[in-house]
Amino acid sequence: MELKTLALDLGLIGVLQDGITSLAAGWYIDPRTGMRVFYDPNTQNFYTMAGGVYIPLGYMNPAPKQVSIGPGEKLKITISYKYSGPAISGAMERFCIGVYGTFGFNETLVGENTRSLPASTTPLSYTGSYTFTIPTNVGADWDDIYCKIYGGSPGVPQTLFGYENALIIVGKDPAISEFTIVDFAKV
Amino acid sequence: MVLTPMALAPKTFNAGETVRVTVSFSYTVGINTTVRLLAGPYYTNIFGKHMVDPCVGRADVSLPAVSTPIPQTADVDFMLIPKSLGGIENGTYGLRVWVEGTNAVAEQDSVIIVTGNTGGGGGDMFTSMMPMLMMVMMLGMIMPMTQQMGAEAEEE
Repeated sequence: MELKTLALDLGLIGVLQDGITSLAAGWYIDPRTGMRVFYDPNTQNFYTMAGGVYIPLGYMNPAPKQVSIGPGEKLKITISYKYSGPAISGAMERFCIGVYGTFGFNETLVGENTRSLPASTTPLSYTGSYTFTIPTNVGADWDDIYCKIYGGSPGVPQTLFGYENALIIVGKDPAISEFTIVDFAKV
Repeated sequence: MVLTPMALAPKTFNAGETVRVTVSFSYTVGINTTVRLLAGPYYTNIFGKHMVDPCVGRADVSLPAVSTPIPQTADVDFMLIPKSLGGIENGTYGLRVWVEGTNAVAEQDSVIIVTGNTGGGGGDMFTSMMPMLMMVMMLGMIMPMTQQMGAEAEEE
């Protein structure tokens, strides 16, 4: 079976040292979207305002492409990010396939890598990847993916990024398209 | 599924002949599977389209598992069973092909012209006119009764 790949860019992440926050509370502008966001150092989350209340900034995004995949096939998810700060050991790269809905992300397939990041004063690029084998009991709605980096010593701030409807799950029932009569003739 | 216009030219067949239909399609499926392809002639009357059931042919088509749509062709044969054997009458018919258990269907009107049945021609026209004939017959029965009742009322 063909190996399918997806790539995620987690962007720049800062360092979080014990007792020190990387950002002060306040409003910021997301350079990627231009959206005004509020950073709360207590929850270490960005928020945006909607309907008069502050809600956590969404980490799920529309998928830039879709990958068709079925049972037995392998899906490789690749992430990239930049890091600067002190050396970190035991940071986790987490890769998930599942169902994203009203109540969050239901992780149905999970893979993790342990990562050590060397000390650096300038942002350095890193990549990580994980290859899933799609099981035979895959659900037709397991079409969302997300990845995150978290943990380690000292810890990196949890950084999430995901894509909705990134996968087209091919199930046991055939999906037929472009069905046309080419010809008919006496045998 | 959207039915796309097709440009099949009408062809003439004798009753008793076998017709081979070739279809093309794209598919995806998660596991190796087999689907049933069916094809046959249909006629149209005021109640819609109706398959000539005795003439519907079937073929099993194997579809290897594939997650990216790939093109596929398949053949299915059906016999134009003569009217004398309970089959098709002389006339013009449409051609329909479909895959059992899916929404894959393709059809085109008036492409199969059947000849060669001896005796009893025009049966298809009779079938389509049957409802109208029944209404005329019913009117023919009711009208004399109403006229008779009207005449009795005038006499009183």
